[in-house]
Amino acid sequence: MSRVIGIDLGTTNSCVAVVENGQPTVIPNSGGYKTTPSMFGISQDGKRLVGHLAKRQAITNARNTISAAKRLIGRRFDDPEVQKSIDLSPFEIVRGANDDPRIKAGGKTFTCPEISGIILREMKRVAEEYLHETVQEAVITVPAHFNDTQRQCTKDAGKIAGLEVLRIINEPTAAALAYGMNRAGEERIAVYDLGGGTFDISILDISDGVVEVLATSGKTFLGGEDFDRRIVEHLLEWFEETEGMDLRGDTMALQRLKDASEKAKCDLSMRDTVEINLPFIASDSEGPRHLNYELTRENLENLVRDIVEGTIKSVEQCCGDAGVKPEDIDQIVLVGGQSRMPLVQKRVTEFFGKRPHKGVNPDEVVGLGAAIHAAALLDSENDMLLLDVTPLSLGIGTFGGHFAKLIDRNTTVPVNKGHTFTTTQDDQSAVKIRVLQGESDLAGENDLLGEFVLSGIRPAPKGEPEIEVSFDIDANGIVSVSARDLATDQEQSITVSSTGTLSDSEIDEIIEEHDLYEVQLRD
Amino acid sequence: MKQVEKPMEQVYALAFDRDATHLNLTASQGYLFSRIDGTTPWRLLREIGGLPLEEADTCLAQWIEEGLIEVVSDGSTQASPVDAASDADEPESEQGAAIGIDESQIDDRLEIDSEAQRRILEFETTLGLSYDRLLDVPRGADPKVVKRAYFKLSKEFHPDRYFRREIGNHAARLEQIFKKILEAYEILSDPDLCQLENQQDSSPETDVGSPLDPATESSGDQNADPIPQEPQPLSKLERLRQRMPFKIDHAAIAARRHKAQEIFRAAESSLKAGRLSEAEANIRIAISFDPHCAEFKEALGTVRIQAAGTRATKLLNGSSERMSDGELREGLTLLEDILIYRPHDPKLNERAARICLQLGKFELAKGYVETLIERVSESSEHHVLAGRIFRELNDVEGAVSAFEMALKLDGENLDARRALASVRLGARDSARGGKS
Repeated sequence: MSRVIGIDLGTTNSCVAVVENGQPTVIPNSGGYKTTPSMFGISQDGKRLVGHLAKRQAITNARNTISAAKRLIGRRFDDPEVQKSIDLSPFEIVRGANDDPRIKAGGKTFTCPEISGIILREMKRVAEEYLHETVQEAVITVPAHFNDTQRQCTKDAGKIAGLEVLRIINEPTAAALAYGMNRAGEERIAVYDLGGGTFDISILDISDGVVEVLATSGKTFLGGEDFDRRIVEHLLEWFEETEGMDLRGDTMALQRLKDASEKAKCDLSMRDTVEINLPFIASDSEGPRHLNYELTRENLENLVRDIVEGTIKSVEQCCGDAGVKPEDIDQIVLVGGQSRMPLVQKRVTEFFGKRPHKGVNPDEVVGLGAAIHAAALLDSENDMLLLDVTPLSLGIGTFGGHFAKLIDRNTTVPVNKGHTFTTTQDDQSAVKIRVLQGESDLAGENDLLGEFVLSGIRPAPKGEPEIEVSFDIDANGIVSVSARDLATDQEQSITVSSTGTLSDSEIDEIIEEHDLYEVQLRD
Repeated sequence: MKQVEKPMEQVYALAFDRDATHLNLTASQGYLFSRIDGTTPWRLLREIGGLPLEEADTCLAQWIEEGLIEVVSDGSTQASPVDAASDADEPESEQGAAIGIDESQIDDRLEIDSEAQRRILEFETTLGLSYDRLLDVPRGADPKVVKRAYFKLSKEFHPDRYFRREIGNHAARLEQIFKKILEAYEILSDPDLCQLENQQDSSPETDVGSPLDPATESSGDQNADPIPQEPQPLSKLERLRQRMPFKIDHAAIAARRHKAQEIFRAAESSLKAGRLSEAEANIRIAISFDPHCAEFKEALGTVRIQAAGTRATKLLNGSSERMSDGELREGLTLLEDILIYRPHDPKLNERAARICLQLGKFELAKGYVETLIERVSESSEHHVLAGRIFRELNDVEGAVSAFEMALKLDGENLDARRALASVRLGARDSARGGKS
């Protein structure tokens, strides 16, 4: 049996890991790095570049270098978050045939699952080189707040990469698995995950290898990249004030500023001041201009304080959802590169009244957790068990446009829940069951997963008939819903299948095309 | 009460020469007595009677002492009595028969060892037991104890344990078992649900009074009567019904509902006539008669919104600059009322933000303006408002970025331009002041 890998598909960086002889290990890429930039570019001469190679040429080729596709995946083009990305990205984002955002590079238009698929294919290749065998199966992580479509699109990306995705699990949960492996006793932990593009907070119980999610909360579109952007904005303003030049329209200068800002931010986690030095950033009739700016840690903290406070608010909410007080948390695990920032650590420490756990590497722990879950599924020796949960609430639409939740988000699966409903009109002979997913109390604001009609209800005054609706989620997350009239025993049911933004045939086409490129690369 | 000895695997039968009719037993105790059949061991007897375990133990011990029942087989000569799995190694044994697992379901060709298969089959037979017995925790156990038991059983029965392995029918069994364990865990971890659960489990017969209470004991003659039924596990729906006590007495509920509908119709006509407060009062009464009717609640919400809306119309139309602080505060209270029903309404949020700003409640104002911008982000005016609020909060960065956004959206916005200039100047001055 070939081995199964775990992949942390990140917004800015990705990481692949495997369990070898019971020991989870991060696999370094051919350059020796344990993480690979989630970037894909097409060079001037039409070459396809992934990872470090793509990042290296990002400055000179910003328009054809795609990063942070994870921020777009599984969303609709009109989604405000997509619109925000359009304003900020050096590459072009266009409306696709399925109303999905697509990205132009090198004269070709790519779908988001395709870009993620290319990154996953690279991670697969890294693993295969290291293991000296082909890899066909993987567990992939996604942010806890990802919805059904985003998860399905990530699965599709796996398919495009030639991987069978055994499971999609949440990033903070994966981190908890990695933290909890080989630890005895009962602990309640909080995982604070501030990555490149997403923020998640989860509270979990761990006991002798069993991991249970109590609550999760998070913010889409908040992460390290927002920190970088604040620095870039600050520098742009400063440059405009001192030199009288607006660099906003200059993609190359922007890319350089972005790189320098990211580096400065990382350096400021260890030092108090850094010098940002970008010679020849621009030029005009008076000659070349250089950018030289000293950024202090305090400066940076003032620039991003509100973002950090926003995350602390989410932490507070999550504690409320889980019904635990901050002091009940035994350990705090920090995940994601941005959690290295001293201000983040300080605020987290203040909130929980204790210092975060130091034993895990925030860049690698999610990938390791994914590998551990893969091993737990397939290897009978590994007795870690993840009590996985549904990411969003499920229920049906009821009279007056309301949403009746039957299964709350963060409910452990497999699960079965039912509730009795009734008619709203005298002699009503049929009811329409609309299966919805989401958190809003209004039916219209949630996603419709499917619908069916239960007919043949015995005529009765409104409010009399009893219709039992039951939801069932099996171990693989497949949802089926049934409705039964208790008087007549009439029953109807539906199995809900998740859909991404691409159809099966579109995925097949993409796979065929990429196989072709693979051949070209090998030649 | 004396210490009870519990020879769990011993099997008992009624003694031939003793007359049990003089016994003064409660219905539940009588039921337990009726289950003593010469094949069922103590371990199972105490679990199927519907009595608390200790009570069952005491009864059994007392009957033995009185010579009413006697030992017919001593389970201790067989395999370890606590390990039920190894008991079943001998299919002919009394235990195997009592647990009633179907040995033909054990298939050596499956990718799951026969021991585990036996455990699954065995556990499946216990799914009808009450939740605390299913998880094997004492009644009213601490949530931590419940969780520990749940984790332990999850490790054994979670379907992921046999991910992708060929385990035949056991896959469906595991799923069913896990769902049941999960249900038990969820209910036992929730003090409210747990209490309801216990009420219903301690009275498997219709007898509502506590069977342990001597005052409710029935006479000896009667105890043969309510006995013959096996304690059926309540179906999911029945449990649900019992958790919703308002559903139980259908006649009474129908009457109350009818009354509620009458009052509600009166409320509807008041509403049509424009008598809002009267309508609101009537709907409240209707809700007290039928507290679960969504239609009433929705109507109440609508009426309240209308009432608040009428009161607020003046406010929303007039200019807040010309209002006194007292009026503003009253207006804000009204707005807050309406916002409960329409928390994301841009107009309301904008109004609330402006009033808060005027009243000096800057933190509140910030909350409203944030909601406002979340909903309508492309209005230059909104960002100017946000900028003003940030400035009052001394958040220079926030103010600058808000004014800039306002300018970006509308380059002609003079307010924004002026405000931005003054904030920047202020920031520069203070920065210089700090350095020198």
